[in-house]
Amino acid sequence: MKRRKFLQVAGVTTAGLAAGCGTGEGEKWLPYLVPDENLVPGVPTYYASTCRECPAGCGILVKTREGRPIKIEGNPHHPVNRGRLCARGQAALQGLYDPDRVSQPMRRQGERWIPISWDEALQQVSQALAAAATSGQDRVAFIGGADSGPTDALADEFVRSFRSSRRIRYEAFAHEPLREASRLVFGTASIPRYDFGAARYIMSFGADFLETFLSPTEFAGGFARSHGWHEGRMARFVAVEPRRGMTGFSADEWVAPEAGTEALLALGIANAVFRQGRARVTGGDADALRGFLARFDIATVSRQCGVASDTIERLAREFTDAEPSLAVSGGVALQHRQATQLNVAVHLLNAVAGNVGRTVTFPGTVWDRLGTFADLKGLVSAMDAGGVDVVIVHGTNPAFTAGAAGFASAFSKVQLKVALSSAMDETTALCDIVLPDHHPLEAWGLYTPVSGVTSVQQPASTPVHDTRQAADVMLQLARLANRTIGGGAEDAQQLVRRALGADANQELQRGVTTTVAAARPVRLSREFARLSFGPATFDGAETGLVLLTVPSVALYDGRGANKGWLQELPDPATKISWQTWVEVHPQTAAAASLHNGDVVTVTAGERSVEALVYVYPGVRPGVAAMPIGRGHTRYGRYATGGSNPLSLLGDVTDGSGALAFAQLRVTLTPTGRRVPLATTEGSPRQHGRGIARLAALASMGQAHEVHEPFTAAERRAIARADTAHREARYTLGDYRGEHPKWEMAIDLSRCTGCSACVTACYAENNLPVVGESQVQRHREMAWIRLERYFEGETEGTDFQVAQVPMLCQQCENAPCEPVCPVYAAYHTPDGLNGQIYNRCVGTRYCANNCPYKVRYFNWFDYGSPASPQFAFPGTLAWQLNPDVTVRTKGVMEKCTFCVQRIRYAQNEAKVSNRALTDADVQPACAQTCPADAITFGDARNPDSEVSRRKRDERGYHVFELLNTKPGVTYLTRVVHAEMAEAASGEGH
Amino acid sequence: MAVAVEPKVMTPRATPPTWAEVNRDIIKTLDPPGRGWFLGMAVILTGLALGALAWARQLKLGIGITGYTPPIFWGTYITTFVFWVGIAHSGTLISAVLFLFRSGWRSAVYRAAEAMTVFAVMTAGLFPILHLGRAWFAYWVAPYPNIRGLWSNFRSPLVWDIFAISTYLTVSATFLFMGLIPDIAALRDQATGWRKKIYSLLSFGWRNSNHEWRHFMRMYLFLAALSTPLVLSVHSVVSWDFAMGIVPGWHATIFAPYFVAGAIFSGCAMVITILVPLRKAFHLERYITVRHFENLAKLCLLTSSIVGYAYFTEYFIAWYSGNPFERSSFYNRVFGEYWWATWTMISCNVFIPLLLWSKKIRTSIPWLFVISLFINVGMWFERFVIIVTSLSHEFEPWQWAYYTPNIWELLIVTGSFCWFAMWFMLFIKFFPSVAIAEVKEALPPPGRTHAGGGH
Repeated sequence: MKRRKFLQVAGVTTAGLAAGCGTGEGEKWLPYLVPDENLVPGVPTYYASTCRECPAGCGILVKTREGRPIKIEGNPHHPVNRGRLCARGQAALQGLYDPDRVSQPMRRQGERWIPISWDEALQQVSQALAAAATSGQDRVAFIGGADSGPTDALADEFVRSFRSSRRIRYEAFAHEPLREASRLVFGTASIPRYDFGAARYIMSFGADFLETFLSPTEFAGGFARSHGWHEGRMARFVAVEPRRGMTGFSADEWVAPEAGTEALLALGIANAVFRQGRARVTGGDADALRGFLARFDIATVSRQCGVASDTIERLAREFTDAEPSLAVSGGVALQHRQATQLNVAVHLLNAVAGNVGRTVTFPGTVWDRLGTFADLKGLVSAMDAGGVDVVIVHGTNPAFTAGAAGFASAFSKVQLKVALSSAMDETTALCDIVLPDHHPLEAWGLYTPVSGVTSVQQPASTPVHDTRQAADVMLQLARLANRTIGGGAEDAQQLVRRALGADANQELQRGVTTTVAAARPVRLSREFARLSFGPATFDGAETGLVLLTVPSVALYDGRGANKGWLQELPDPATKISWQTWVEVHPQTAAAASLHNGDVVTVTAGERSVEALVYVYPGVRPGVAAMPIGRGHTRYGRYATGGSNPLSLLGDVTDGSGALAFAQLRVTLTPTGRRVPLATTEGSPRQHGRGIARLAALASMGQAHEVHEPFTAAERRAIARADTAHREARYTLGDYRGEHPKWEMAIDLSRCTGCSACVTACYAENNLPVVGESQVQRHREMAWIRLERYFEGETEGTDFQVAQVPMLCQQCENAPCEPVCPVYAAYHTPDGLNGQIYNRCVGTRYCANNCPYKVRYFNWFDYGSPASPQFAFPGTLAWQLNPDVTVRTKGVMEKCTFCVQRIRYAQNEAKVSNRALTDADVQPACAQTCPADAITFGDARNPDSEVSRRKRDERGYHVFELLNTKPGVTYLTRVVHAEMAEAASGEGH
Repeated sequence: MAVAVEPKVMTPRATPPTWAEVNRDIIKTLDPPGRGWFLGMAVILTGLALGALAWARQLKLGIGITGYTPPIFWGTYITTFVFWVGIAHSGTLISAVLFLFRSGWRSAVYRAAEAMTVFAVMTAGLFPILHLGRAWFAYWVAPYPNIRGLWSNFRSPLVWDIFAISTYLTVSATFLFMGLIPDIAALRDQATGWRKKIYSLLSFGWRNSNHEWRHFMRMYLFLAALSTPLVLSVHSVVSWDFAMGIVPGWHATIFAPYFVAGAIFSGCAMVITILVPLRKAFHLERYITVRHFENLAKLCLLTSSIVGYAYFTEYFIAWYSGNPFERSSFYNRVFGEYWWATWTMISCNVFIPLLLWSKKIRTSIPWLFVISLFINVGMWFERFVIIVTSLSHEFEPWQWAYYTPNIWELLIVTGSFCWFAMWFMLFIKFFPSVAIAEVKEALPPPGRTHAGGGH
């Protein structure tokens, strides 16, 4: 979408919004009697808003058609995500249209929920609040998630007005150790902001910064800029972690220290920096640091961590050679008893390398004000002691994530528990009254993820159900209890508009205001020195495996579990969907004779959960890793599968009061059952077929022997045949003339494997979610998939992970087309492989003949409400893109390059009497790619970006030997590692 | 028949039956069926009904009720389709090609083989429809003027299939029926009541005159000549369903002859499988003799060697081509997850038929019966291996998978066998399953050694 267009549309729609898109009462979905003149059927309307699926606060544009949001895309003006979005952001729509949403206020009676009216519910709650306030101080509590702006202030005011200070901003992934480390090292209890784009050398100590850590979409963009190969240069990335996840896949080197010793390793490296005389700190700080770091003798550290001294010395050298470099830490998986120490160590490493103020700054972020796990524990003991009468929970699910704090049992002792929640999750199920909340896409707010960025949140549709925004509910409750909060504001809209001031409408159009906040300069504090540093300890028998609980790329802390798209999104690392697995190293698995899909009981002391074994070379021997996010007991029909590893944890905290997610050693006991993994993985090796190619940086730019699969004579013959073929095709229809030739280029040096493109495709193209049993049969329908191949010897740590997004290659010489007996597969004038669902009779020959295996068959009737496999139950069907056919059973489908967008842009261009440029069209995958790896455009135009990327020396086609002439050009991923040579084999 | 007049074809040990005995013995097979027949028919119809129910379920819910596991988009249905097309081949071979080659021994077995051909094609023809995602639109594949304004894609081998199968069905059914006319006349002469009316109609007023015989023989010769190319063409076309694809393991020029040989191989085996119980049930030992079986066994032995040679060639070329995809595909066949299917195929089709070198074995009916069953199994697995194993291990390693048929597919496949068996069971009770006229031709004419008899 072009800027001017966006402003036009947003301007028009904001007017409509101000007139009638508020949260007023009595609004319902009704068919048009008198059509709204601002709503043109077939023309989308965009609303700028803010994604609230995690605290990162990305700006979004919500595309609505005929009043219904159907797609979310990033807001290109937003400084955090620059128009990009991750898979979770794409899937926010499925939260809005969750068929199991709470649709009206309800009161719990035993296990049953009785619908009540809003008035009755508000009365009851306000009375209880007033009574609690009368009976004493701090008898009311409010547990919310990360928030900022006027709604955040309102919650504080609300709690205060009932004589309480018990307000917790509870996030399961609050990164308290990182914040505490900032306080100890730099005297500011703040989460830093990282500039990955500027860093020339990146070292991550278990921070999954491309997955869930802080602001992954922002980081992916920066990381792609620095680490993506560009004219002979690229940053080096070293992943230091006992488990190599998706973020680690992009690493040029994997260093796997003994779990729990990462802090020592970082300090050892910092010590080496000093000893090599490369430290960039001066004066008293230098002396103090040198003295402190000298305690971490390199030989000792090497022994403790299981990392060679040479490696430590080399990492120190490389890290300081690059300018600037960046070390990050604070990932949830490595939040163990020494987590604060680890973050302190990494801060020190940044300090000695001179990165503070350059790649690491402290502008102040939304995470700074989050409560800690210890705060929640404090509230839990107050509830347990009967010190709290009314608890209001909003937008967070501690009963699922904070089982370790004993939340559920203490919570049930509270007299009145109120949920301001849109879904029936575990916490809501424990409450007495649920006052259903708006989904963030229906609500107002202002969100400031980082100082200086004010991101607007406005409704993109009228409420789907009889719900009210939490802020409105608070205002109404206060009013009923005769208290004035929010400066007497009527509702949340007024709060937001007041905060935006006179230019509110313009702000709502743009969606974000950015002011340049002066970064707060920091000085070294010496408080960290009183910490005791050592290997983290883990409870349980020494023979057990250290359990890492890993945040899920798709499900985050479990909040994504009610969304089919996210449940079905293969985990980027293991490629498993729908299930909870436990990763074990091949050696560990061989010793215990465990195989993929074995159901094992993961036991820690008294507690145990079941999980499926996944043998994975990306974990150290002696470590087991499990994903967080599944194992819900409530939370709707999609959330039923898997198990919750958090239920194994005790309430162990680290120095900062954070839950130690890594605290246990566990034993795996086979149950004797084996379940097929719901995985998309076929072979984890590409067998030298050159699908996802890697090249060593050292080899770039040199003349290298190009393997040409054909002789000169063969090439001439092929060219002749091609011409004849094309001429013959021209006779079949009006294929002559100036048609564009749509092509795509995918830069594997930028692709991180995050899979945002996959979910974007589900959203844009009405892809059905098929469920666990069908994924077990490889019947998933994702038109674009991420293939993940291991390259090199996976016994140790010295292997590379090659990833490639595979989608229909839109071959010019497509094998699928001639075999279709009914012309369902055919070639369009602009170079696409069309697929006409209506013609398809389902012979499936095209899929057999497709060498890329990117055709997907409708095994069942996913699109029919009468079918047991209906994929869009309830309000989910409201999300369907009206420009795309919902396919019937028995037909083949595949990636269309978002042909509906191409045709829409063509029509627009025609209407406005101008030529179509390739900037007018972006398929959903390219649009959302956080790393900007995908380029789309007209290959006939030599100046287009796609043509430029096609000419890149790294460009190649998959299976060139087959002469399919694909329309997708891949650009070889360049890695620093030397072993990449092994995988760079030409296309066989 | 003018072409096979050697009177010495019968084994000297047995007394040749007289023409009257021929009439009596063969027409006796049409006697009202006994308990065994009804019992068999009950089993068959049950199987057919279960298959039909399975298909109904598949139509209703979608083809997903089967075990298809992408990228294996073709499975048991296409396997069984090719299997039945293959079975259909020996009928024409025996009746037409051996006729043209003046092999007199064919006369006792060709009727059963021809009937088998027609019913096998009828069964095979079900599968391309059964396997469609939208079976109710199967007719879209046929080229005919239609309101969709869309012609079939003649570049697609699936369209060629339609022509190949329908042509074969037409010609083989015609051939079967034409050959039946003199026999129907014989039946007519003995029948009474409504049967007589039907047989009269079907015999086209055949009066057994020299004039009629002269025309009949001409017509038969032409039809035989017309059918002969089909023996080669039909299975060649079916093989191109695969050879025209670029799937490693399919894309090979050897496919046409390889498939034709395989088809004749499986067809002959199936003829043996059917004739053994038929001969026993109707006491036709005097007409279908050990010599016939031995000849069929020799044919099996020959085609088994051709098929074995084709296997060898496939593997050799896969290696010799240096094409890594081909190499990987064929390595996977033998040592991959589907090793069991491949080794079943090789054992049944190459190793077990080696027993037929022994005269003792190939003249022993029980041995032959058992070996023919193995060949049937082996040839089914040949198609399974070609289709499923190749698809399971294509270009894209990320999309390698493993497929096993599930109960619904197996019900439908079983139903197809029942469908075939039903027609055959009906046939043997309505028409002579051994050609009366042609058997008589091979006998000494009446009046020389015996008195009376015949027409």
